[in-house]
Amino acid sequence: MHELLLFASVPAHQHHELLQQLAGLTAMQPRHRVERRLVFKAHRQPGLTNTRVGASQDLQGAELQRLNKMLNGGMFYTQVVGPVAQAEFGAKPASSGGAADVYMSGMEDKLSTPAYCYEDQSWKLEFRDIPEAGTRSAVTARLMASAALPKGDITIPMNAWGYSFVTEYVVEGDVFVLNDIVIFLHRVLLYPSGAQESHGPRRQLPAYRELSPLERTGSYVLQAAITVQDGGNQEMMKTASQHLFGLREQLKSAVRLEQADRLSLDTRAK
Amino acid sequence: MSALSKDQIKTLEQSRQRLIQLTHSLASLITSLNQGDPLPPWTSLQSQATIISNNLLTISAHLSDNRDLLSNIVAYPDASYPSRVPANNVALEQVLRTKLDPRVEDWVARGRHTGAADYGLVGTGLGEEVLSELWDWAPVEANQEARRRNWGGNFTLEERENGVQNVVTGLRKVLEDDDDEEEDSEEGEGEADEMEIVGVRRRSGAGAGLEFDIAAANPAAVAASSKVVVPVVPLDEVLRFMTTGVMPGQR
Repeated sequence: MHELLLFASVPAHQHHELLQQLAGLTAMQPRHRVERRLVFKAHRQPGLTNTRVGASQDLQGAELQRLNKMLNGGMFYTQVVGPVAQAEFGAKPASSGGAADVYMSGMEDKLSTPAYCYEDQSWKLEFRDIPEAGTRSAVTARLMASAALPKGDITIPMNAWGYSFVTEYVVEGDVFVLNDIVIFLHRVLLYPSGAQESHGPRRQLPAYRELSPLERTGSYVLQAAITVQDGGNQEMMKTASQHLFGLREQLKSAVRLEQADRLSLDTRAK
Repeated sequence: MSALSKDQIKTLEQSRQRLIQLTHSLASLITSLNQGDPLPPWTSLQSQATIISNNLLTISAHLSDNRDLLSNIVAYPDASYPSRVPANNVALEQVLRTKLDPRVEDWVARGRHTGAADYGLVGTGLGEEVLSELWDWAPVEANQEARRRNWGGNFTLEERENGVQNVVTGLRKVLEDDDDEEEDSEEGEGEADEMEIVGVRRRSGAGAGLEFDIAAANPAAVAASSKVVVPVVPLDEVLRFMTTGVMPGQR
């Protein structure tokens, strides 16, 4: 699948106004969304890199070559995204063993303070390639793929696939849908530093108000995206960019949607 | 009755030409007013008005130069004029009229009246004192008048009170009486494109001069603009953090 994107920076003071404008434009109420995002980085598996090239090349079967390429060729950062509710921040961790009891006995208690259960956290793997270089159209286009992951602790399977945990943050924002365009007005929130070291994802969430925006002034990022199933279909890609340009025109007086700097979206691990 | 000399005919011909020019420029002004929707830009209107005024000036000069001749000659039908054709009779009757058309008579009367009034003033004029008094009075009065009006609408208050449908706008398009919306928008905190009315009043205390106070702009807008904070982290850095977890400025 391919993804076509336009971005804009939205100063904090404009955020409320833009929400209204987008609600009017898309004729829908904003859908608030809070996500945990974990950044993983591919690392070379020891023992797999030392295949000798050169003299032994002709001895490698095609299968082995392909495997090597898959394992060592492209090394990428990838993201694991898990939706959370704002109410789950700062909640007491529900012990995984006693969860059933809580459900059975204390429903009121459960409702008043919804617990965050890391074991029940659902995850989605989001792979994004580096945006295509040298595209003549003024949109960011990149290869993308998403896959559902098992619930709960995700580091073990990710490590098994050769990915190590880098960092995590929270994305908070509102989603609008205009025809085929998904508009996401969001900002990055950071966990309070020092509380827990970054060897793995947090098992419990701090209070929401303790999160600090990455951008100190609280500005937002406006992202307009169209997903194209068949990225090889030039006609379809062209139509999608046209739609994005249409949106850019409509929002021209409010924000300036632009192509993002390609290297800022570089997911290749060096 | 002597025949006209060559010069005299030339004079008549010139008058005719100039009158034709005048009617042409008048007609073009009228068509542009009628057909332009919205009205043609004021620059074109003004240039047309200048042309007409120049035409009038030349005609007036020409007429007064040849006053003797033009006031003495009379028209009479030649025997060879084909007066039996009814269509020609109209022109003939026009030419042979000794009195002016009643409508034209009205115009002339009005013109003479205005002219006389102006003429009466030329001699006297306004004294220095009266003039300065007038200039002193005018800005304040004009401003008060302006403040009394509700700017930004197609009709004045008087027109609205008397019924909008009675107003002769001279325009082809139907103007909307957007009274309701206007009131709404005024209750909501003013509009950005609204004209600012500058308050003028006499400066209290010493000396001449006027005080100008610009009507305070929409307070909400002022408050908002003071809150404007430009993001310190550029978009690229935010995106880079989101992709690879590299903190801004750590690269």
